[in-house]
Amino acid sequence: MQPAVQISDLVVTYRQKNGQKCEAVKGLSFEVRRGEVVGFLGPNGAGKSSTLKALMGFVKPEAGECLVFGETSWTEASRQRIGYLPEVAMYYPFLTPLETLCLYGELQGLSGKSLKSEAKNLLELVGLDANMRKQNRQLSKGMLQRVGIAQSLLGDPELLVLDEVTSGLDPVGRKELRNLLKEKQRGGTTLFFSSHELAEVEMLCDRILLIHEGHLIEEREVPSLKEELRQYELCYTGGISMVGLTEDLTLTDGDSVRARFEFKEDLLQAMERVNQGSGKILDVVAQEGSLEDYFVTAIAEAA
Amino acid sequence: MKVWFPVTIICALAAVSGFNVSDVKDQVHPKGRYSGLDAHETHASASLLGQFRTNISGWLWVRADLYLHNGVTMRPLSEQEVLNGRKGVGSSDNADNQLHDDSKVVTVIPSAERDFRGIFGDLDRATKAYQDMTGHSHNNPKQSLPLFRLMTWLDPNFIPGWTTGAAVLAMGKDRNSYFEAVKLLNEGLEKNPDSISILDQLGFTYIARVRDLASAEKVLERARATGKRYELQDIPADEQESLLSAYRWLALVYRQYGKLDLQYAVMREGLELFPGDAVLERMLNAPPLVLAPQKERQEEVRPEEPDHSHEHGHDHDHAH
Amino acid sequence: MKKLQIWKALARGVILETVRRKDLWVVAILGFLIILSAGALGFFGMKGLESFAKDLAATVLGGMSSVLAIVITSRMMPDEIKNRTLYPLIARPISRFDLLFGKLIGAVAVSWISFAILCALTAVALSIFSVPFEPIMSQYVLARMMGLVVVCSVTLLLSLVMTPSAATTMSFVIIFGSGMITQGLLLAYEGGQTGMQPLFKLINAITPQVGLFDLGSRAANTNWGPVPAWVMGSLALYMVLYSAAMLSLSWVKFRNQAV
Repeated sequence: MQPAVQISDLVVTYRQKNGQKCEAVKGLSFEVRRGEVVGFLGPNGAGKSSTLKALMGFVKPEAGECLVFGETSWTEASRQRIGYLPEVAMYYPFLTPLETLCLYGELQGLSGKSLKSEAKNLLELVGLDANMRKQNRQLSKGMLQRVGIAQSLLGDPELLVLDEVTSGLDPVGRKELRNLLKEKQRGGTTLFFSSHELAEVEMLCDRILLIHEGHLIEEREVPSLKEELRQYELCYTGGISMVGLTEDLTLTDGDSVRARFEFKEDLLQAMERVNQGSGKILDVVAQEGSLEDYFVTAIAEAA
Repeated sequence: MKVWFPVTIICALAAVSGFNVSDVKDQVHPKGRYSGLDAHETHASASLLGQFRTNISGWLWVRADLYLHNGVTMRPLSEQEVLNGRKGVGSSDNADNQLHDDSKVVTVIPSAERDFRGIFGDLDRATKAYQDMTGHSHNNPKQSLPLFRLMTWLDPNFIPGWTTGAAVLAMGKDRNSYFEAVKLLNEGLEKNPDSISILDQLGFTYIARVRDLASAEKVLERARATGKRYELQDIPADEQESLLSAYRWLALVYRQYGKLDLQYAVMREGLELFPGDAVLERMLNAPPLVLAPQKERQEEVRPEEPDHSHEHGHDHDHAH
Repeated sequence: MKKLQIWKALARGVILETVRRKDLWVVAILGFLIILSAGALGFFGMKGLESFAKDLAATVLGGMSSVLAIVITSRMMPDEIKNRTLYPLIARPISRFDLLFGKLIGAVAVSWISFAILCALTAVALSIFSVPFEPIMSQYVLARMMGLVVVCSVTLLLSLVMTPSAATTMSFVIIFGSGMITQGLLLAYEGGQTGMQPLFKLINAITPQVGLFDLGSRAANTNWGPVPAWVMGSLALYMVLYSAAMLSLSWVKFRNQAV
């Protein structure tokens, strides 16, 4: 089965004001399988937006291939199956959310009462049922983001491309959105989104792609990455030696020691040593690793 | 910033309304400078409203000419065209060429033979008021009378509005028409007391239409006195033409009275200002004409009761 | 059918936005001024001003409608790009041509609505002068509406190749100056060298012949009958061909443009 997104050796260039070409994406290659949730990460200026624009057909790639369900991204057929949420939510200020969705739905090929009904349902889903007849200019940034989410779900697309999906939402809104996206994923929708909110990425994604200066520098499955980043802490007494297992030892109150281990096996061995020795285990803690630290480290190494 | 803003607004409003024009008038309109036609332009330059009025009266003037040709736009021949021997369309009723001379004008839209535009030219001729204007006649100029009235209301300093309007009124060729023409010119004179053109037109109307030589003498002497107040080079060209015309008519008036001394004085004075003028020279060199002395005072011109049997002037309504 | 739905949806969006933005209030104010002026002239008891009234009406209608069409169209696409409302549109399964065509239809529709409002108010003003209705007036309105299509298409193209301010200015120059350009070409053609004449013909062909759609001089003056059917048909054909050419050029510029 064809992947939802297939990017091969993608090169995207822009012409600057001085006439010189600037390469925003330099030979990027990756795939997004159907039904996956993939996070697209990178620092500012890494080429994320350019990649998404190429995927959506907003810019024509200089070189390489950009396929959506096997169709070239520059065609209407590819966009038929995509729901897109732009980074900055801007919609016609003098239209209402309902009119906005009806407009986009008609462009999608939907029409009539079914379109209106679907638009109303989506607006209720994103919590805008009370505001669906107010003009967009009267809505807050967060409400406009919800309008954007609703319009991206029109026609029940197979692929959702979301740029900074939780931008502008309050914590309650973010949770609601996460639940919505998880539900979509369970329904078989493929999600491909970029975000700076690493916590969101961690909670939602099956896989992450890390891009820097137009190159793909990391591609990791999230569960294995989390496992890799997880650290373990053992608090014990008895002065047991941890040589060969860890050097990260901290003396705390009294004669208790806090030892940190990168790997679970080392923790287990340490616990065995304490038990076999005359020591006493006071506490065992598994600490989730910081995706942020991983992100920063990866970027620094790539630079 | 806060102080300057209201000051700027007040100055702008004052400029628009022409407030205190008189205080700047001396700068714009120094003493000794002819203010007949100039007044039109100095007033215009002193305020935005004046400039607007000037533009509107100019636009109305162009429209009046257009209505004469039932909407067919005309243009004068260029120098190159004249040199190439091209002739204007002329008209069949240039008896009114005092108002209008079509001997050197052509239609703006060219005829099919002279048009390189092909179908675009055909469409242009079909969608616009266009026809072959060779030897054309004109619409009744009275159709434009309301425009002249409008010109004089909007811009009282627009002299051609008064003079040409009066000439059009007088085309009615009955006492009522002449009365209206005189009334209009007097109104124009009130608003433009130094206008030699209005005085000259008034003099002509009294002489040629009303046959009131006494009134003609008064206004033509006034024109002569106005011209004497200024250096000739300070008087605009069209007012100079009117001044010359006034001298000619005044000489004619004194000839009719048999006042030869005054006649010759006027002619010599006129020739000093306009040396080589053929009309004045001819009159000066002609043997004295002995005529029965005219009455010095004529009864005042009053409008008659309307006479429905009276034949009105020729009607040149265009039929297409 | 799907294309029609797309174009209709885009046009409806333009109309709703423009109407709710109250841009058309400008039209209403202009119309009110027209009636006020007519009333003022009537107050002065100016009889015999029928030709002048019709002439003024034709001039004002023609000028104002063109101004509105240019102002509405010149900002349409640049505002979409600047405000980023373009992204959700081109994210849909529509071609860039569909987008341009739908927007053009919207701009034309708004121009026609403005023109219709001005016509209605002008009719009220003319009634003050007891100006009777003539068939040439219907032709005038129809021809003007066709002319507005050309104006909008030219402005759309310019808005894609220049900044909005430059596009507005150039549109004004081209649309209101097309008559002068034509006159200049006519004079230059006669007096010019033979080698230059094909160039003049080319310039004339390229210049939008907006003046052809102005039947004002016939409508304002007396005894000019309605124009023949072939003339209206030719104008319609020119409108279609020229606007199609402008739209095509717009598409060529826009189709590969990065947004």
